[in-house]
Amino acid sequence: MAAHPRPASAEARQALRDAMARLANGDQAALEEIYRATRVKLFGITLRILGDQKEAEDALQDVYINLWQRADRYDPERASPIAWLAAFARNRAIDRLRTGKVRGGAVPVEEAAPLPDEAPLADMLMVDAEQAAQIHKCLGALDDRTQGHIRAAFFDGHTYAQLAEGADVPLGTMKSWIRRGLQRLRACLEASDAA
Amino acid sequence: MSGSDNTPDSGVQRDDPMIAAEWALGLLEGEELLAARGKYATDPDFAWRKEWWDNWFAPLTDAIPGAEPGAHVWDGIAARMAALSSQQAPAQGNVIALEARVRRWQWVAGLTSAAAAIALTLLVFAPGNAPVQAPGDTPAQIAAAAPMVATVPIGDTGLRLDVTYIPESERMLVAAIGLTADGVHDHELWLVPAGGGELKSLGVVAPGQVRSMTLPDDIASGLNDGARLLLTQEPLGGKPAGVDAGPVVAEGDFTRV
Repeated sequence: MAAHPRPASAEARQALRDAMARLANGDQAALEEIYRATRVKLFGITLRILGDQKEAEDALQDVYINLWQRADRYDPERASPIAWLAAFARNRAIDRLRTGKVRGGAVPVEEAAPLPDEAPLADMLMVDAEQAAQIHKCLGALDDRTQGHIRAAFFDGHTYAQLAEGADVPLGTMKSWIRRGLQRLRACLEASDAA
Repeated sequence: MSGSDNTPDSGVQRDDPMIAAEWALGLLEGEELLAARGKYATDPDFAWRKEWWDNWFAPLTDAIPGAEPGAHVWDGIAARMAALSSQQAPAQGNVIALEARVRRWQWVAGLTSAAAAIALTLLVFAPGNAPVQAPGDTPAQIAAAAPMVATVPIGDTGLRLDVTYIPESERMLVAAIGLTADGVHDHELWLVPAGGGELKSLGVVAPGQVRSMTLPDDIASGLNDGARLLLTQEPLGGKPAGVDAGPVVAEGDFTRV
């Protein structure tokens, strides 16, 4: 997809792609490069989901060790490195959340540790712009209530039961709201796939 | 795996792409989560759809502010990499410490099973290793010293249980790293003695942890080359007395390192 990032950002993206390829070929040094480029984004994600500094740091370690051990699982034809890494980190954090040891979402976003000034190029850490526009458009087409619940599931790692409790509706009601939303979301995204 | 859900609303078909979406959002838990993981490992269409959703949802993470992890995080990663890598080096000298061999196995077990088999073969034939005896005629002295290991892969999820038994100390280490509890079930580990006979419970597995336990003599005596481990899904707390064990979800055999 044809995003138009600044040249410096395009270079950084390419460097990340190269590092992922080298890691898949067994170059261990590539992991440090990937870590330096992506840790801030991925830690933001694990911290947001887990809401606990220590848990989020443990999850982050697992993410990179796992990445090192199974770098060949990344398919550059299907996803940009940053999109794939972001999903990977979030999935690992959710897995950890489901162990029930941590409460999750306990730390509001604004309390997250501030970034140092020398934070990596912010643009480079953004997932492809066209793809972002599409998911926002499709989510935006849902009614506010459904959109809100889908977002809460994504950003806070809430289960159906937690969402139902939060909205004070029966579990079945919450499930059908979200499933109807996901069905429409899928149709909208597939239409853009085909375009 | 659709249709098992008793929602009052029947307006939405809960097909596999829907379940993949629910999983990608992180809504699944308990048995449904386990089922989805299993399906991911065995059903390429389902796996493709899960990744399709992951990829579409990924841009939402751009709204999450970044945060700087502590410096010790990279140190920890580097240390774990170094520890894991150093065990790839060829065996040197005549004596390999027991602990080193155990650690080496744990690294080997992290490979795909085919690669692990090759690596293990190399270890067995590498000069300087303890002589390897055919199963069945192993002298008691060697049996008493050589650690036993078993890898119990959980489907094709990449998750596994690593079990190491160190006869010298009569201790068994059960590593369930990467496994997560679903809050509804526990998993219980069972020993099927090499010579057959009754299953012996080794207890409930602690997900995400390495547990060390001392084995009673009657269990240790059944622990020989070829002894098999089974992992069953049980209610929380393990198999209740007086009922049959739950379904076997994974198994693996013990081998001498």
